[in-house]
Amino acid sequence: MSAGPFKVCMLGDFGVGKTSLVSRFVRSTFSDKYLTTVGVKVDSKEVARAGRDPVKLVLWDIAGRNALDSVGANYLRGASALLLVADGTREASLASALDLLMQARGLLPNALAVLAMNKFDLLDRWEVAPPTLTQLRRTLAVFETSAATGAGVEDAFAAIVAGLAP
Amino acid sequence: MAGEGEKAIAAATGADGSAVPAAADVAAASPRDDYERLRELLFGDERRELAAARERIAELERAQRDLPRRLPDAAVAALHENRDNPRVADALAAPVAQALGAAVHDNRQSIIDALFPIIGPMIRRAIAEALRGLVDNLNGAIESSFTPRGLKWRVEAWRAGVPYAQVVLRHRLAYGIDHVFLVERDSGLVLRHVAAPGAAPLDADAIAGMLTALGDFVGDSVGGDRGALDSAQVGDSLVWVEHGPQANLACFVHGVPPPQLRGLLEQRLEDVHARILALPADAPLQTIGDDERVRELLDPVQMLREAGADGSTAAAPAQRKSFKPVLAVALLALIALGWFVVERWRWNARVAALRDTLAAQPGFVLGDIESRPWRSLVVHGLLDPDAPSPQALIEQADLGKANRRLGATGFVSADDRVVLRRAQRLLQAPAGVTLDARGGVLHIGGEAPQAWIDAAALRAPLIAGVARVESTVQVQIDPKRVARAALEHAIAELAARNVDFVREDEPVAGSDAAVEAIAADVRRAQAFAREAGVALQLRAAGSSDESGGGDINARVRALRARWLALALAARGIADVGEDDANANPDPTQRSARIHASIGGAR
Repeated sequence: MSAGPFKVCMLGDFGVGKTSLVSRFVRSTFSDKYLTTVGVKVDSKEVARAGRDPVKLVLWDIAGRNALDSVGANYLRGASALLLVADGTREASLASALDLLMQARGLLPNALAVLAMNKFDLLDRWEVAPPTLTQLRRTLAVFETSAATGAGVEDAFAAIVAGLAP
Repeated sequence: MAGEGEKAIAAATGADGSAVPAAADVAAASPRDDYERLRELLFGDERRELAAARERIAELERAQRDLPRRLPDAAVAALHENRDNPRVADALAAPVAQALGAAVHDNRQSIIDALFPIIGPMIRRAIAEALRGLVDNLNGAIESSFTPRGLKWRVEAWRAGVPYAQVVLRHRLAYGIDHVFLVERDSGLVLRHVAAPGAAPLDADAIAGMLTALGDFVGDSVGGDRGALDSAQVGDSLVWVEHGPQANLACFVHGVPPPQLRGLLEQRLEDVHARILALPADAPLQTIGDDERVRELLDPVQMLREAGADGSTAAAPAQRKSFKPVLAVALLALIALGWFVVERWRWNARVAALRDTLAAQPGFVLGDIESRPWRSLVVHGLLDPDAPSPQALIEQADLGKANRRLGATGFVSADDRVVLRRAQRLLQAPAGVTLDARGGVLHIGGEAPQAWIDAAALRAPLIAGVARVESTVQVQIDPKRVARAALEHAIAELAARNVDFVREDEPVAGSDAAVEAIAADVRRAQAFAREAGVALQLRAAGSSDESGGGDINARVRALRARWLALALAARGIADVGEDDANANPDPTQRSARIHASIGGAR
């Protein structure tokens, strides 16, 4: 018996590593080609919790974009959480992620939001300054992640699980 | 305003007290009482009317405040008590219509949610009634079809004891339900997933999510309200999606499902929504998946059974009972097929044997054999007129009652056997002649009359197929002719012999030797006559000299002829006649002799 399922939408600019994060987190049922055709790829993952029932997450990996169109907005319907993904080596991607969060808030005012600052393995090339992240952490859960090494990925999803099924 | 008027009145009365009767009494009472009495005197009736009007207004206000609480009961009472009063309906028609219009305009989703469980059945019922007549006509059309497949299904329906149309549907609608998803409309999250026994496992959450995403994508692509993804098909796999206000029902089907299944899905989704409406207000939508009734509604096996595609229906045992007849029919068919194969093989073998026989037939070149098993056989080829006809061979072939015919075209064969037959026909060789043909050479042997030999020498080289003639034929000698020649010679010799007499029938001395010589010649002549196949006539004739009278000499000649005949008879030669005694064969001699002559063939 598992809790949920909860719909989690992944939002972020092109090339920030959303799909790689999902691939690190789950074993995909569908091909990535859906991202370029339909604009979304859905996977599910049952997250184990120590001493408690696992939580099932349904991950909607929405194709990279810096603004929500009508299709993307449709994909957000009924989502319980948003996993915003930004590329630490591109500061503009962080701005896009925050813009997307603002647009999504209009549709999902109560959804849990978590920010994954991806490509932590390329930290030496990061454009996003630590003070910026410190500021962000005051209003948003922020995790440094690396789809390449897997660092922080489980933590980000664990935070989502904790927020959805405390 | 009234108060100010009253004050003005009071001021007026206070200023001119003489104008008031019984002024002492008035002065004794309090001013307020006076005022009240004055009001009563002046406005008593109006005040009472005013009070009544106020009470009425208050009552109306109370009724107005209580109206929301009392209205349902009042409406029910009004409808109940005034059922036949058209004014009630008239009075309600306008506000109800207006309220509905406003609700549809302002709160469309609520109206949809409320009507969804019932509007589907209403539409289906109307459509079902309209289609019933059409289906009956179709059923009649189907029943009147006599195609082989239709007849087969008819037999199956007769054996199973079910209507013919049901069998037709069962055959046409071979399908199965693999998965049933109840998906939350907005989020695409799975509310309930049921897989058919044996169906391949899948990630239901991901599938439902993608299905929802695809539906959104398609709906958004085709444009707004124009529709949603109702079905998708790949090969014989089909996804049907029924859309509801709260949840969608997706059904993964393989094969060719009947339209009834679609209707069933609609009905199930409506029933599910009825259950959703019955959920407690604080219950999350996802708990609908735990509802026992919803579990029953989404059971693929039950869906199949209700749609008439499940093999475990009541008709199935009847079919199993009828399995033996099917086996029997199959066995009979197998036997018939085996018999057919064997008979066909035998026919072909016999035709092949006939082909070999005909191919070996001299003077016949086999062209083709038109064979229609057990019905007819036509042999085509080239046939030399001198060759033996293959018709007899064809007739003798073991082909039952099949009609046989020989279609032959003439030609000249160089086959030695045919050349020999041709030579035999043209030369008409007599017995004793042997003919043989080998490699175009005609060999003629034996014996033959000279005339035939001469004719054959002319004809034989001209015979078709004869390149050269080798003749060793000998001229044939006829023993009869030889015997006849010998007979004639013996007769001549016999004619030269005689027995001399001294006088009368007294022979000269040594006549026995002469008689023996005559007898020996007669025997030899008789032997030649037998050999030649002719009759030999022997007559004894006497001769006399001219001395004496004629009568006496005739008697003497008769005596001498008789004497010789007797002498020969004594030596075993009978049947010797006597010549006329009046004739005198040799007047110079006194003798007797035998005249032999050849008669007809014996």
